[in-house]
Amino acid sequence: MTKIWELFENGVWVKPFLILSICLFILVSFVLYILIIRSRGKNIKREKLRIDYNVLIEKLMFSMLFNDTPIETVKKDSDYIRLSENNFFREVITESLLNLHKSYEGAYADKLEQFYKESGLIKDSFKKIKSSKWEIKCKGITELAEFNSIEAFDAIIKVSKTTNKTLKITALNACIKLGGTKGIIHLTEYPYPIDEWTQINIINAFKKHDIGDTKGVELLLESQNSTVISLGLKLIKELKLTQKIPYVAQLAARATNTIIKYEAQNILQTLTV
Amino acid sequence: MSFLYHEISAFSHVYLILILAYAILIMSSYLILAHLSVRELREYLKKNSFVDYNVLLTSEFAPSLSLIAPAYNEGFTIQENVKSLLSLHYNNYQVILVNDGSRDNSMEILIATYDLVLTELEIHPQIETKKVKGIYTSKNAAFKKLIVVDKENGGKADALNVGLNIAQNPYVVCIDVDCILDKDSLLKLAKPFLESHGKRIIATGGVVRIANQCIIKNGRLVEVNIPDLMMPRIQVLEYLRAFLLGRMAWARLDGLLLISGAFGAFDKEIALLAGGYNTKTVGEDMELVVRMRRYMLENKIPYAVSYIPDPLCWTEAPEDFNIFKKQRSRWMRGTIETLSFHKKMFLNPKYKQLGMLSVPYWTLFEFLAPAIEFIGIVITLIFTLFGLLNWHFFFLLLIFVYFFAVLFSVIALYSEERTYHKYPKQTDFFKLLLAAFIEPVYFHPLTVYAALIGYKEKIMGTKGWGEMTRKGFTKK
Repeated sequence: MTKIWELFENGVWVKPFLILSICLFILVSFVLYILIIRSRGKNIKREKLRIDYNVLIEKLMFSMLFNDTPIETVKKDSDYIRLSENNFFREVITESLLNLHKSYEGAYADKLEQFYKESGLIKDSFKKIKSSKWEIKCKGITELAEFNSIEAFDAIIKVSKTTNKTLKITALNACIKLGGTKGIIHLTEYPYPIDEWTQINIINAFKKHDIGDTKGVELLLESQNSTVISLGLKLIKELKLTQKIPYVAQLAARATNTIIKYEAQNILQTLTV
Repeated sequence: MSFLYHEISAFSHVYLILILAYAILIMSSYLILAHLSVRELREYLKKNSFVDYNVLLTSEFAPSLSLIAPAYNEGFTIQENVKSLLSLHYNNYQVILVNDGSRDNSMEILIATYDLVLTELEIHPQIETKKVKGIYTSKNAAFKKLIVVDKENGGKADALNVGLNIAQNPYVVCIDVDCILDKDSLLKLAKPFLESHGKRIIATGGVVRIANQCIIKNGRLVEVNIPDLMMPRIQVLEYLRAFLLGRMAWARLDGLLLISGAFGAFDKEIALLAGGYNTKTVGEDMELVVRMRRYMLENKIPYAVSYIPDPLCWTEAPEDFNIFKKQRSRWMRGTIETLSFHKKMFLNPKYKQLGMLSVPYWTLFEFLAPAIEFIGIVITLIFTLFGLLNWHFFFLLLIFVYFFAVLFSVIALYSEERTYHKYPKQTDFFKLLLAAFIEPVYFHPLTVYAALIGYKEKIMGTKGWGEMTRKGFTKK
């Protein structure tokens, strides 16, 4: 200890410390500079590759959609065979399929869903759901929901019980798309508060996917969790579910939570006018 | 004599060690904050890639906002600025433009452009302000969101207080009327108010970036460029460092003291309860945040201040040294005034991170840093005169600080590259890199000088903002 103090006191350490620090700063700056240049180069290369892949994907998909080329023939395309095992290509084709699926309906959408399943891309999405990273899970869920993969419903329901908010919203959106009201009924048992942002997303999912069958929404009003009750009330109000008025009236009569009581009375007033 | 020489020499040694210790302390704090910021930023971007902000556009549960835009002698650009504010992507909002006794033809332009008529709006002022001469609304239904208030000149804080008194919505967004807002800025700013977990969100702020030489079309930014002039160019780098490598960390540490006056949203009820904007300071933006936080802590109400790292607001940086000097000296006065109003918080555990971390940090590294640098220069000169300076050590220290400054700017550039990538042109990147090398020897001394002017103005009792001339944006 005395030696360290003496070393500090006589200042011998200062010069080597400064020289070493200067060298370190220069070295780290240079490494970061190289990383920036490399990242820029990589991005440019990736974008170029993406453009090339998109040209091929568009050609294959349009021939499948509009020239009735069978999926088997598409899968036998030499370029497709060459690239189908490439991860980046699979990422690009999944994104393209997602975008196309959002733009088309009916038979065209069915064909895209069929291709998604037969090409094995669906397996990639299922793998993503099992990933330990929540953002990868989100990706997988978004893909499976977009392509109406009902078989993924149970797996996604499990994921929706997470406390990670972003993942929860993505999973609940998917559950609503795939299973309608069935996708959120489990929230009646949910013990944690659901914030307004999540609630708005759930309501939006109902509106966006035009969920006609709202049987069971009233169950949310029986939850012990006041934020779940609030979600139920908001859903009833926003979707104008006048058939649920008796349940809202019951809630308004029995609720002990003043905010919930007020919300229920307010909705009763809105729906009965 | 030799005894005296020995004593001074020992003092010189201690002084240099102290300077080195201060430098190491400040550098370490920067690096720790940068590390925290980058981690938060990456997490935010991951989350944000799955967020659909459009749900707020169609939802009746989206928070209602009142935009308050104070304007003083903005006649040259006011027509377009208001048009841009009225066309933001958000449904549930009103725009309150407060004409703070402009001496130009701002009011005439507004009345003619937006078909304004005097209206009898019922208001119950909670904050005392200068006299309101008239409140105007539009006859044209297309501008029904717009309220224009004509008032006697009282400064920016007073104009904002008038806006707070008039605002009909629970959240207010205070902006500089000449800023260029991202079209989704309100959607992003409103979201945190819906995400409280048992804590009341009292304020949210977004990132401000420099728009000099960027191309603006119909009040929107369409092309990002790096300024050719070194003064605004270095400010691009400076803003990148401050916003990318600093504020996100303070938000994470729950110690954010400043939400830029150019663009920030507040819970109106708390802002009013805290007393609104303080008209006795030129740092009204920082002072309000500190006072609101203090109010919540003193009343033991759980709360949070949120921060959005997305570039939501673009502003014009001074290109001329005189205007820059006025701006920075005002910032320093604002800092001194805020810290002095709230000196009770300094190292006071009652105020948690705010008292134990944020206020001491601002005192030591924002308020005192220019003074310490200045004293350093004076002492160095004295040592040189007496032949006491260890030149070898002095130059090593200088190079040490210089390369750290360069490194920190390169870290900011790297973070920008890996996150928002707003400057994709190769030439722009090299322009910024060059700025990183020039800044410590050209720009930094100017900021220190401007801060010293700020000290002087504070001591002399100077009040007010001073004239801030803007050049205007490049339009397409």
